[in-house]
Amino acid sequence: MNKIVKVGVTLLIISSFAATSLAVVNKITEPKIAEYEAKVLEDALKEVSGEFEVGSQREISSNDTIKALYLLEDNNGEHTGYILQLEGTGYGGPMTLMAGFLTGGEIIDAKLLNNSETPGLGKKAENKTYMDKFKMTGSLEKEVPIKKEMLDKGDADAVSGSTVTFSGIAKTLAKGSEYVKNLGGK
Amino acid sequence: MADTRKEVFTKGIFKENPVFIIMLGLCPTLGVTTQVVNGIGMGLGVIFVLTFSNVFIALLKDFIPNSIRIPAYIVIIAAFVTIVEMVMHAYVPAIYNALGIYLPLIVVNCIILGRAEAFASNNSVYDSFLDGIGMGLGFTLSLILIALIREVFGNGTITLIAMGSFDGVIKIPLLYNYPIRILTLAAGALLLMGYLKAFFNWYSSRKQETI
Repeated sequence: MNKIVKVGVTLLIISSFAATSLAVVNKITEPKIAEYEAKVLEDALKEVSGEFEVGSQREISSNDTIKALYLLEDNNGEHTGYILQLEGTGYGGPMTLMAGFLTGGEIIDAKLLNNSETPGLGKKAENKTYMDKFKMTGSLEKEVPIKKEMLDKGDADAVSGSTVTFSGIAKTLAKGSEYVKNLGGK
Repeated sequence: MADTRKEVFTKGIFKENPVFIIMLGLCPTLGVTTQVVNGIGMGLGVIFVLTFSNVFIALLKDFIPNSIRIPAYIVIIAAFVTIVEMVMHAYVPAIYNALGIYLPLIVVNCIILGRAEAFASNNSVYDSFLDGIGMGLGFTLSLILIALIREVFGNGTITLIAMGSFDGVIKIPLLYNYPIRILTLAAGALLLMGYLKAFFNWYSSRKQETI
């Protein structure tokens, strides 16, 4: 009995020391981390909003793909589109995307955020020009190119070697576009 | 202890190199070494955790009952890893993002628990401190070596820390246009590890023969 108490108390002392030191470090680093996360989010929103202003966030019931929704407005405060935070699957696992849409479902711009794609191959999707091939697709007339064959020759060559990343991004964006169309401009 | 202080410190770098000789912690080694800067970041994290956990375990070795030594070690190691994780997230977010899941996984990195169990639990505080730094340095240098080869040949670049006008990326003329892609992929990591291990085996066996 005594032995168990001694062992338990020892573990308790070690754990409480560990917890206390973690609490202190957390107190110091927490505001910095929050600041950084907010800046990343703000930059990403700005980058995919085109010429519009980023409005407020709307509460939605998120599913596997759609994680968050922000409203887009023009200078007069008129509602013109949405920004969706999307989650898809690439070659290296889950990827987070931020994409702006017009109310009709056309993609304004998109940006690849957190991902574990292969450097030099899939990771190239982080470049700004990568998303050019998706811009203004997603309308009723022009769907999002989810297969390599739907791209121009030059774009198709550019994604070869990282087809899984490409189709992961494309399918996620297409789902986002569908979601926006179903909102019907509201 | 037959080892002198100097030996305690230097054995981690070559003679008992954690990656190439003892072959511990290979998973993060192969996982993060796609860019030199990741190797440096991971290495510094491991040096910090290894040194402090070694010191604390050596300090507490008479206080911790034998029957619960592993859980106690894990709690101490996990606390230091979490500190490293929070500090990196706050001050060097780029490296924090690049290291991803491998950073929290330092907790179960066999090098750290291995050194705690094999060295710190029956050596003095000062020796454990030297062992932690030496082993950590050996690990860091190994990571940098693997990362350097993989990045130079696989991507044609050397990525260091961005400072001022220097964006941290050095491009290597010919290789940048014609890289050997396989080296940046998982298969290339294993291939390279095999070659380096063969080299270290050849080198240490040759050394023994001359003695």
